Amino acid sequence: METSLTPRSLGQRGLLSDIQAFRAILRREWTIFRRYPSWIIALLIWPLIFPMMYILTGRALSGVDGSGLAVFTKLTGATDFIGYVVIGTTVWMWQNIVLWDVGFALRNEQMRGTLESNWLSPTWRFSYLLGHTGPQIISMAMFVLITAVEFGFIFGVRLNGSVWMIALTMLTAIPAIYGLGFAFASLVITVKEANAFVFLIRGLVMIFCGITFPISLLPSWMQAVAKWMPQSYLIHAMREAAFSNAGVAELSSDLIPLLLFGTFWLIVGYFTFLWMERRARQTGAIGQY
Amino acid sequence: MDTQLLSQPSFATKLRALYVIARKDWKVFWRYPLNAVSNIFQPIIWVTPVYFMGQAFSTNGQALGFAQYSGSGDYMSFILLGTALSNFILTVFWGMGYALKEDMDTGVLESNWLTPISRLHILVGRTLTSLLTTTITSLIMLLLAGLMFGFHPTGNALLAFLAAIPMLVGLYGFGFAFAAVVLMMREANTLVDVSSFLVQGLSGANFPVKSLPYWLIPVSMMLPLTYGFDAVRGILLKTNTLFPIYVEVILLVVFMFVMLWFGAWIFNRVERKVRALGTLGQH
Repeated sequence: METSLTPRSLGQRGLLSDIQAFRAILRREWTIFRRYPSWIIALLIWPLIFPMMYILTGRALSGVDGSGLAVFTKLTGATDFIGYVVIGTTVWMWQNIVLWDVGFALRNEQMRGTLESNWLSPTWRFSYLLGHTGPQIISMAMFVLITAVEFGFIFGVRLNGSVWMIALTMLTAIPAIYGLGFAFASLVITVKEANAFVFLIRGLVMIFCGITFPISLLPSWMQAVAKWMPQSYLIHAMREAAFSNAGVAELSSDLIPLLLFGTFWLIVGYFTFLWMERRARQTGAIGQY
Repeated sequence: MDTQLLSQPSFATKLRALYVIARKDWKVFWRYPLNAVSNIFQPIIWVTPVYFMGQAFSTNGQALGFAQYSGSGDYMSFILLGTALSNFILTVFWGMGYALKEDMDTGVLESNWLTPISRLHILVGRTLTSLLTTTITSLIMLLLAGLMFGFHPTGNALLAFLAAIPMLVGLYGFGFAFAAVVLMMREANTLVDVSSFLVQGLSGANFPVKSLPYWLIPVSMMLPLTYGFDAVRGILLKTNTLFPIYVEVILLVVFMFVMLWFGAWIFNRVERKVRALGTLGQH
């Protein structure tokens, strides 16, 4: 008599077990987060020093008599140079941090040699990325708050618009920023050279999205590229919301593209993950580093 | 009973160890060729927004405001030279502090520590490949950025190079002290990023330090790198310098000896302490 064996997972996956796995990943990330307290320094210092370097360069370009700043103000219409730069650099740092944190989530596991063993657990694998996102959004919210407090108190940057409109703009950008992070995280499981990719993506944001200058200064082909980057819309919308008191109607020309980009990048992120994860298992690249 | 090392370290074995470390890093570097390409383009990416920002402050392509501080309206040559020098600063910071963290993470620090070679040699060895690759990539970067934005050195390149040597050697002292901090904190990224960013910024990598707010100028003047940037630019670009160039070079030479001594001293003390605490293998 022949008997056939059907391999069956010992774990019974369900919604509850997925939630438990998600919670376990969140708790682990939180433990690691607390294990290296130097993040506190980073959280306090980076919002200040990164924009500072551009602000100080701007100060040097202004000249002793401020003649350079007058040229800048005339060109951009921005009466608050510091606020103008801080918004651009904050968006850049947000995307940069997401790429390093979320984007490196799987790559770091690979480097530590724990990705394969985690992959063997009967859980929804995408929860590894989602689990990284939770603490990241919280720390990013703290980051933005600290930026606002530091520049408000130390440099006297004052908003001429609504805080709620700025918050709405940032919420609208979350799917695009994190979707890009998911796609990136998935890509580096196979491609490995994660650093180079972070440098490339954040470099594109730095060059094309006008973090310290108006996009109108770019050559026309670069302006065309900028239109395909969600960060350009986010920076523009945040500046309008913060300094021109723009409402939802005025911001809609930026918010709608942001939502469309968000949908696109979330779908791309999820499917890139499925594709790369399958490919890495087939080629055996999942355990390599 | 006296304990005696089985190996007999000599000058030749130390050189061989340095060579082996450098060769290993060379192999790892070329194992990830995209990173090599990125090293060339990364500095260009950083200076591009500064270029456009400078345009927003310029009239007919001349940064007249900038010239009031530096003595030259050619802000891109000023910044590109600062960027090339900054690459070397980063190399020493990353090369030592980050290499230690990498060894901790991959679990090889303790076994490397057991080899009969001075720990300072291991640290120096970890920078050799980076120095070579940084030199190559910085030259290519200057060439490409020069084509894109314009780079117009008019002074003596050899003299500028000689002036930069004490600054670079002194940086090793900084690197030793910094590696000690990484050994204690067991975390490198934040420390490396923040400190190198601050040191570069306040030393005037991107702007003349005279343009800093008055309360930051003393901080900048206490950083020896300020005189390195200033002297090299003074020689190559004929910009206004803080002091006569020969005074700045003397300051750099003094700094070189002081920092090498201090860095090695602090590193040895901390290293002994973490060994006693047994935290060397933790990360």
